[in-house]
Amino acid sequence: MLKSGGTILGFLLLVIVFGALRPDVFLSFGNLRNVLEQVAILAIVAAVQSVVMVVGNFDLSVGATASLAGAVVAQLMISGYGITLSVLAALAVGAVVGAVNGYLTAYLRLSAFVATLATMTSVSGLTFIVTNGATLFGLPKAFMGLGQGRWLEMPNPIFVALAVSLLVWFVLRNTTLGRRWHAIGGNAEVAKLSGVNVSLMRFAAFVVAGLGSALAGIVLTSRLASATATSGDSYMLLAIAAVFLGMTISKEGQANVGGTLIGVGILGVLSNGLNIVGVSTYVQQFLTGAIIVAAVAFSRLSNKGVS
Amino acid sequence: MTSDIHQGADQLKAVLSPDDYVLEAVDISKHFDGVFALNGVDLKIRSGEIHALLGENGAGKSTLIKILTGVLPQDSGSIVLNGVPVEFKGVNGARRAGVVALYQELSIVPGISVAENISLGDDMPTRTGLVDWTEMRRVAQEQLGRLNQGHIPVQTMAGRLTPVQQTMVAVARAIRVKARVLILDEPTASLTDVEIQDLFRVLRRLRAEGVAIIYVSHRLEEVFTLCDRVTIMRNGQTVATSDVADTTIDQVISTMVGRNQNDLFPERGAPETSVMVETRSLSGRRLKNVSLAVRKGEVLGIGGLAGSGRSELLRILAGAQRRTAGEVLVDGQRSSGLSVTAALKQGVALVPEERRSQGIILSQSIGDNIAIANLDRIGKWGLTTRGRVTQLATKSIADLKIKTLAAGQPVGQLSGGNQQKVVLAKYLARNPKVLLLDEPTRGIDIGTKAEIYALIRALAAAGTAVIVVSSELPELIGLTDRIVLLHEGRVAGDVPAADTDEEELLTYCYGRAS
Repeated sequence: MLKSGGTILGFLLLVIVFGALRPDVFLSFGNLRNVLEQVAILAIVAAVQSVVMVVGNFDLSVGATASLAGAVVAQLMISGYGITLSVLAALAVGAVVGAVNGYLTAYLRLSAFVATLATMTSVSGLTFIVTNGATLFGLPKAFMGLGQGRWLEMPNPIFVALAVSLLVWFVLRNTTLGRRWHAIGGNAEVAKLSGVNVSLMRFAAFVVAGLGSALAGIVLTSRLASATATSGDSYMLLAIAAVFLGMTISKEGQANVGGTLIGVGILGVLSNGLNIVGVSTYVQQFLTGAIIVAAVAFSRLSNKGVS
Repeated sequence: MTSDIHQGADQLKAVLSPDDYVLEAVDISKHFDGVFALNGVDLKIRSGEIHALLGENGAGKSTLIKILTGVLPQDSGSIVLNGVPVEFKGVNGARRAGVVALYQELSIVPGISVAENISLGDDMPTRTGLVDWTEMRRVAQEQLGRLNQGHIPVQTMAGRLTPVQQTMVAVARAIRVKARVLILDEPTASLTDVEIQDLFRVLRRLRAEGVAIIYVSHRLEEVFTLCDRVTIMRNGQTVATSDVADTTIDQVISTMVGRNQNDLFPERGAPETSVMVETRSLSGRRLKNVSLAVRKGEVLGIGGLAGSGRSELLRILAGAQRRTAGEVLVDGQRSSGLSVTAALKQGVALVPEERRSQGIILSQSIGDNIAIANLDRIGKWGLTTRGRVTQLATKSIADLKIKTLAAGQPVGQLSGGNQQKVVLAKYLARNPKVLLLDEPTRGIDIGTKAEIYALIRALAAAGTAVIVVSSELPELIGLTDRIVLLHEGRVAGDVPAADTDEEELLTYCYGRAS
C-alpha cells in the first residue's frame, strides 16, 4: 500500500511544500498553467518511452530524434515547403529512426542500449547537418499556433500531450496490441510460445517511440519558433526518469502511462518550484537525480518486504 | 528431584554418546507466501556416514538444503551443529562452520583456473593484500591429492575439464575449509558410469576421514550402493529414516509417493483409426529423420535421455523451432512450421517444459496469462476488454479447478500445481486438435498430477491427439497408449504402453536394442 502510494504522496508533498513557501506565486493559475506547459512536451516523449519500457527495452535516442524532427520541419518550411508536408516529413523521419532502432533490437538482436546509443549519436550528427550548426528561425506564423496558441485558456501543447497519453493508455490497456506488448515485457519466451510475434511487436514499439519523439520535436520547434541541433536532447534522460518514477506506482513494477504522467509532474513541479524559490539549475539537476534514486530504491525496498 | 537427575543424565549421555550427531535439523518449518515448504522437519546426520535424502520433486529437499547451508533462514526450528544450536549468517557463515553444499550446475566458475575455483570465496590466500598465486596452486594440488585427483592440472581453466573432473574440483573446494558436512545435490546427473564410480571412491574416502555426507539423488540404485542411511521426505516433512540395509527400493518408492503409483493413472481409452498428426522424415536441431503418426484420441508418449531430441520434436511441431527437412501433416493439411502463431492457428498447441520461464508470466494475473495465447480469439478489431479476459479466465478456473482467490490474482502467488494448470488453461482454451505436453507434471504434487492425467485422458476421449514427453518412465507407461523412444535424435523404439516395462524402455533409450 505504502509502496504504490509513496510516489503519489511525494508528488503531493512537493506541491504542498512549494505552495507553503511561495503561495502567492506557486499556486497561482498562471504558474500552474506554466508548469503544465513546461512539461507537456516531456509528457509526449515519456508516454512513448513508456511503450518501449513496457516491452522491456528502452530508447536512448528519443531526445535526439525530437531534435532531428524539429530541425527537419523547420528547414523544410524555411525552404518553402508547405506546413502539412513539412510536418508529415518530420514525422516520417521519426518513424524511420524508430524503425532502425526496432530492426537492430528486434531482428538483429542487438541490446537496446547499444542500438539506441548508436542511433542517438548518428541522429545527432544528422541534426547538425540539417541545421548546419545554426539556429533555424523565420517560420510561418500559422505553424506557431501549434506550440504557442491557446484553447480554453490553456496552451495547445497540453492538449497534444493529453491526446498522446490517452491514446497510449488506451492502446496499452484495451487492445490486443497492448496485451501483446505487456506479455513481451513480462517474459518474451512465454509470449513467443503463446503465439505472439515478438520481433514484430518489439519493432512496432520502437516505431511508436520514434513517431512520438518526432511529434514532440515538432511541437517544440513551434513553441520556440526556432530549432537548434540540440533543442530536444534533454528529453531523453528526463523521459526515462519519469517512466522509472511511474513504475514505482504500479504493483507489478511495470511501466504505465498514469504513473509516467505523475513522474512527469514530479519533475515539472520540482523544476518550477525550485526556480521560484530561487535554487540554481545546477542544484536542481542534482536533486532530480537524487529523487529518482530515492523513489526507485524505496519501491525496491518495500517490494522486498512484500515477498 | 528425580526428574532433574534424569535430565542431567540425559545431557551427559548426549555429550558422551558415540552416536553423536554432527548435524541436526530440529522441527524446521519454512513457508513461502503462506504455503508450507517445510513443516516440522527433523533430520539427524552422524559424522562419517553417507546419508541419502530422498523425495519427489517438491517434497522440500532443496528448501531444507538451503536452510542447512545458510542460503535461506528458517521460520522456526533450529539447526544444531555438534550439539550446539547455531544460526548461520549466509552461505559463508555455514561454510566457515563446515557445512558446504555442492550444486550440480552452480559449483564451479568455468572461466577461471582450477586453483582459483578451489580457493574461491572469502578464503583466497594472499600476501601483503595481493593474491598469493604460489600458495593458491599449492593448496589446490594438496586438496586434489587428498581426493587422489592429483592428475588434474590446477592452472587449466575449469571449464575445459570433463564433467567428473569439474565435480572433483567442486568437492576439493568444499573440503578445503574443514568440511564436516558435505551436501551433494544430484552430483551424478551428467556423469558416465565409470565417472560415477570415481566419484563414489572419493566420497567413501571422505567418509573414512569422518566427513558426513548428505546425498540427494533420484537414482535409487546409486543410493543403495553408496549410502549408509536414508531419510525420505514427502510434502515438506521427513516421513521415515532407516538404515539402507533394512529397506528396499520398492519400500522407498512407496514411502516417497505415499500411495501406490498405479492408482494415479486413469484407464486407457480407444483411439480412433484416422491419423491426426503425422511427421515424415522430420529433421532439425538434434532430430534426425523422425517419422511417426498419432491418431485421433491417442496419447503418445515420447521417451529418451536428456538431449535425445524429445523436446526438440515437440518444439518443431509447435513452430517454436525450425525444421531442416521433412514435413508435418496436421489433420491432412501440410503445416508451414514457420511460427508458433501458425501452428496455433492450425490447432497445434505446446505446453512447454519450463513452467516459470516458458509457460507463464509470474507477475501477471491468471486472466492476462490465459489471454496471451487467445488474443486472436477474444479480440475484436484489435480491441479487448477486461470483461472478456475475466470471462475466459473464470471458465478456465472452473474447468481445471484452479485454486485461486480471483482471476486477477498474480500467477506467481499460486502453487506449482496451480501454475501448471494455468499453463494448460492457456492452450486448452483454444480447443487444440493436437496437444503437445513437455514434462507436464514436473515439480507438482501428486494430487494435481492425478488431476492432470485424468484431464489428458478426457481430452483424448474427445478426439484430441496428445503427445507427452516425460523423463519419468512410470508416467509414460501408466498414462499413454504407445511409447516412442528417441536415441540421439532418431526413433529407437515404438512400443505399446500396456505391455512394456521400464527395463525395456531403457534399453531403447540407450540405443542398445537390437
